[in-house]
Amino acid sequence: MITLKIAFRNIFRQKRRTFLTILTMFGGVTLCSFSIGWMDGSYNYIIDMFTRYQLGHIQIHRQGYIDRPSLYDTIDDYSVVASSIESAPGVTRTSPRLYAAGLVSVGDKSAVSRLIGIDSQLENAATLFDRKITSGRPFSRDASREAVIGVGLAKRLAAVVGDTIVVVSQGADGSIANDAYTVVGLISTGDPASDQMALYLELADAQELLVLDGRIHEIAVVADDLHGVRRLASLLQEGLADPGLVVEPWQVFARAFYDAMMADKAGGWVMLMVIVFVVAIGVLNTVLMSVLERTREYGLLRAVGTRPRQIFWLVIIEVCIMAAVSVALGCLAGWGLNYWLSIKGIPMPFEFSYGGMEFTHAFTEVNTRSFVIPIVVVILSAVVVSALPALRAARTAPAEAMRTR
Amino acid sequence: MSANHSDAVVVTKGVTKEYSDHGIPVLAVRGIDLEIKTGEFTAIVGPSGSGKTTFLNLISGLDRVTEGKIWLNGKPLSEMSGRELSDFRRDNIGFIFQAYNLIPVLTVTENVEYIMLLQGLSAEERHRRVQTMLGELGLDGFEKRFPPQLSGGQQQRVAVARAIVAQPALVLADEPTANLDSQTAIELIDRMRYLNETHGVTFIFSTHDTKIMERAKRLIVLKDGRIDSDEVRE
Ligand SMILES: Nc1ncnc2c1ncn2[C@@H]1O[C@H](COP(=O)(O)OP(=O)(O)OP(=O)(O)O)[C@@H](O)[C@H]1O
Ligand SMILES: [Mg+2]
Repeated sequence: MITLKIAFRNIFRQKRRTFLTILTMFGGVTLCSFSIGWMDGSYNYIIDMFTRYQLGHIQIHRQGYIDRPSLYDTIDDYSVVASSIESAPGVTRTSPRLYAAGLVSVGDKSAVSRLIGIDSQLENAATLFDRKITSGRPFSRDASREAVIGVGLAKRLAAVVGDTIVVVSQGADGSIANDAYTVVGLISTGDPASDQMALYLELADAQELLVLDGRIHEIAVVADDLHGVRRLASLLQEGLADPGLVVEPWQVFARAFYDAMMADKAGGWVMLMVIVFVVAIGVLNTVLMSVLERTREYGLLRAVGTRPRQIFWLVIIEVCIMAAVSVALGCLAGWGLNYWLSIKGIPMPFEFSYGGMEFTHAFTEVNTRSFVIPIVVVILSAVVVSALPALRAARTAPAEAMRTR
Repeated sequence: MSANHSDAVVVTKGVTKEYSDHGIPVLAVRGIDLEIKTGEFTAIVGPSGSGKTTFLNLISGLDRVTEGKIWLNGKPLSEMSGRELSDFRRDNIGFIFQAYNLIPVLTVTENVEYIMLLQGLSAEERHRRVQTMLGELGLDGFEKRFPPQLSGGQQQRVAVARAIVAQPALVLADEPTANLDSQTAIELIDRMRYLNETHGVTFIFSTHDTKIMERAKRLIVLKDGRIDSDEVRE
């Protein structure tokens, strides 16, 4: 009690020093909170762009398809599945997809390609397919025998809009599948590897070519919010009648992308360590200064019977009070900054477009981590760093401290 | 052995303290045998470096002896752990130092009641004792002041109040008047003497000031860490 009183009043003794200590910790918390908000915000933005406008946040396949794609592992009653998925809360849209390998040729040039059957209306709505067309046009409304090809593939085939493209593949019934289509547009999805291979057909055309009437391989699901995707995926899984279908969030079906993002994110911790280090040094400096200055007081307190433990806590409590104030203010500032920039965005040094999206701003994010981590890290480092001076204060030898020489 | 000294507050036998000054041993106190009885008002004097502070620190348990033994209220200090010694000081010894006696962020009242707070006395009891004590030392009206707002003499009076308010067996004062002008110094020592006579508080104090020594009932002169003379006056 009396210890608390002394600790509290000590804070007001060296107002300048207290101010600087609080400012250091406040700066640390704010910066820490902001850098987490910024880091999470920009990564989640990239992730959201790539999943929302490309892969889908969630994908549904027949069991085993992701590991070993086979023409025969299909979702048969997809419209039933899709409508049940779409009625789930948190789901924005779905889009069916069908995949096969094929040999394509334009004139005397041929190349191996990936045939992708899409329902262009649904795909446009779900992943803005039409906005990624770089030349020519998207599929027309009742498209028939139209093809859209990746810019990379177009280059390999020296194909231009208006060319006729011949596709040879194998139908599900074992027959040779071949047909000719008109290239109506070239697409740049932002994923060059995909654009090297991709040939898009209207779903109906693809199903006819491959003799997969009414069947597809994949349902891509776009969610309202990137954050709840894992939970949404398991919710959708529970709601599926067919146990042979697996619902996977992007973290699972796009494992490599996920791992790359996480590895990249780890670099952000270096920044955090630097902040912690600066805060720790600042706090150590001021606390040590106070403790050395107050040697006589600690000596007096020890002489009249204060236990070392009480003096230890006297120092720690003083730091904790300052830390509490700093953390409260820092969280407020960090929250304000993250909230403001999550709406307004930070203009990028250079704008670029990717997969049909214009990137002009980066956005921060307000999340629990951006409070919890700075609070824990700053308070912990302040207390840990103060333990040494506090121990020194607790060990003050009263006879030495009170000697007037 | 302590049984033979039932009215002795302090008994020392062959107390010796050796310091090491950059590796060179310094004998600050060399075999002091002494007995202080309850109700004494003793001055310890002697030239600078004669061992006054060292000896006071030893009998108050602020420092440990190199050789010899000290009993306080019949209890041997050397057998106590650091923690026991700390609690023993709190409950049995009042301290008045030459300066820096008070915690600057605590008011006069809070400084005086500090030890009683450590002892866990009730608020009522603390309040009662603080009021009486401040009254006796002429500090009425200064309750809410902070030490830096007091004169040197007033600060030392607060220190005296703090030292005796918890009713210790012994009050030790190392040059309590050294920082005061001679008029204020005499006033302070007279108040201490008054408390000694009316409340029976046992005081041991050190001083260089001959006017202050004259107020003592017993005068012990130290020289080179030994007792040079020990006379009871009045
Ligand atoms: N911590 C220490 N380390 C080494 N020597 C010390 C230490 N403390 C005291 N001494 C030495 O012990 C001797 C006695 O010192 P002490 O302070 O007890 O004398 P004093 O009588 O109180 O002197 P003064 O009147 O100046 O206060 C001196 O020679 C002093 O230098
Ligand atoms: Mg001295």
